[in-house]
Amino acid sequence: MEIFQYTFMLKAFLAGTMIAAIASSLGMFVVVKRFSMLSDALAHISLLGVAIGFLTALSPSYSSLAFTLVASWIIEYLRQHNKLYSDSILSIFLSGSLALAIIIVSASSSFNTSLFDYLFGSIVAIDDDDIVIISLLGLICAVTLYVNFQRFLYIAFDEESAKASGINTTFLNYLLISLVSVVISVSIKIVGALLIGAMMVIPAIIAMQFSKNFKNSVTYAILIAMVSVIAGLFISYYASLPSGATIVVLLLCFFTVSILFKTKRY
Amino acid sequence: MLLKNFKDNVIETKNLDFKTIIQDVSFEIRRGDYAAIIGPNGGGKSTLVKLILGLIPHDNGVIKLFGQAPSLGSLKKIGYVSQGIAKLDENFPISVHEVIKLGLIANKSLFSRITKNDLARIDHVLTKMNIQDLKDAKISELSGGQRQRVMIAKALVNQPQILILDEPNTGVDKQSQINFYALLKDLNHNENITILFITHDLGVIVDDINKVLCINQTLLACHDPRQIYHSEQLNQLYGVDAHMVCHHH
Repeated sequence: MEIFQYTFMLKAFLAGTMIAAIASSLGMFVVVKRFSMLSDALAHISLLGVAIGFLTALSPSYSSLAFTLVASWIIEYLRQHNKLYSDSILSIFLSGSLALAIIIVSASSSFNTSLFDYLFGSIVAIDDDDIVIISLLGLICAVTLYVNFQRFLYIAFDEESAKASGINTTFLNYLLISLVSVVISVSIKIVGALLIGAMMVIPAIIAMQFSKNFKNSVTYAILIAMVSVIAGLFISYYASLPSGATIVVLLLCFFTVSILFKTKRY
Repeated sequence: MLLKNFKDNVIETKNLDFKTIIQDVSFEIRRGDYAAIIGPNGGGKSTLVKLILGLIPHDNGVIKLFGQAPSLGSLKKIGYVSQGIAKLDENFPISVHEVIKLGLIANKSLFSRITKNDLARIDHVLTKMNIQDLKDAKISELSGGQRQRVMIAKALVNQPQILILDEPNTGVDKQSQINFYALLKDLNHNENITILFITHDLGVIVDDINKVLCINQTLLACHDPRQIYHSEQLNQLYGVDAHMVCHHH
């Protein structure tokens, strides 16, 4: 097929499916913890990190990673200590970071176009370094999730009982949110700050409609996300559409079908 | 013949304080006790349990589990059933088998996996709770009584020495409550599990329990349950002219 003759498309398929697998598996935990807005809030914080990176001539990737990690720890601290409602914390971070990013962008018009790429992502402009970083990240996530799967599940299901049984819920909550923030800061260059939330949350919600257990839900979420990325890249290539937006629209179509199917079935 | 060691304190508090919610609470629960905590809403019952389990730090006083300061090791000997049955997220995709398996996790090291022996223990509690046919069911599809049995199975799978339950009958039908009390009695009498639980149904279980803690900010009484029938402290506890109605089952 013509599409496979282009190296950039092969890289897009590889990076896209890896991000889909990582984001959707972490997304399952985020969704069942009723923390779906977390991915959007962290994506906007990541964008602020990128803007500051451009402004200070630091590497946008590193500044984005640093900002997202620190912000995620503050969010988790506030959540654990019941300082504010979880959704209020996320709302403040989301709008606050976006506002700061806009001010930085307006103050310096020289990097507007570059920042625009981070907002919507460019899945077809992936270089070899991106593939290496995403592969490493995928490996770290896979090992961490495999080792702590039951503990993360216990905390998501009944945090109080998990803590009472002696599980270090504080450390594991920080570990999970750190993984989410790293995945987001690495992914926004490719998927876009406005779209990574959908990649994380929608496959999990679709999977939850049809599964009676958590393990299957994670498997379904990964499969749905990967199929959406592959199909989305095909459609975007042949219909000359933006890849990130096409993937999200496909996910929304799957979600609509899943809701209709479930309503009809039950 | 296995004799119960009734001299052995498994839970002990001395002059325990937490904000204004718990004031100067001292009591002992001995191995083999079947104790109920009663008191008005907002009287500090759940807070007291959370303090014992280390879920919240106390301000003053001493808590001992198995004669020592609470530790990871002592917490692993306690099965806890929270008020989670009533608060359960209906959309959470988790099966009965997965929920019970969670009870084993605290005793596992980072890289150890579920063994055949663990699976046999899960099967054993599924059978004991009479929920073996429900093991693949989604927890949100179960009735209140069935969910209650699942949560107790999760607490029991780790073979605890103490079972602590926080109002486990919320949202559970009457017949399931009767079965539940029979189960607790069996666990206490036949498996020598020490039981401490928060309840509003003292009248139903007064013949089964051997200790009752009346909590309203402070410990008002730590009676033999049969003494509380005519106790002035019931009035003091609830702030109204209260009396206990006994339902024998």
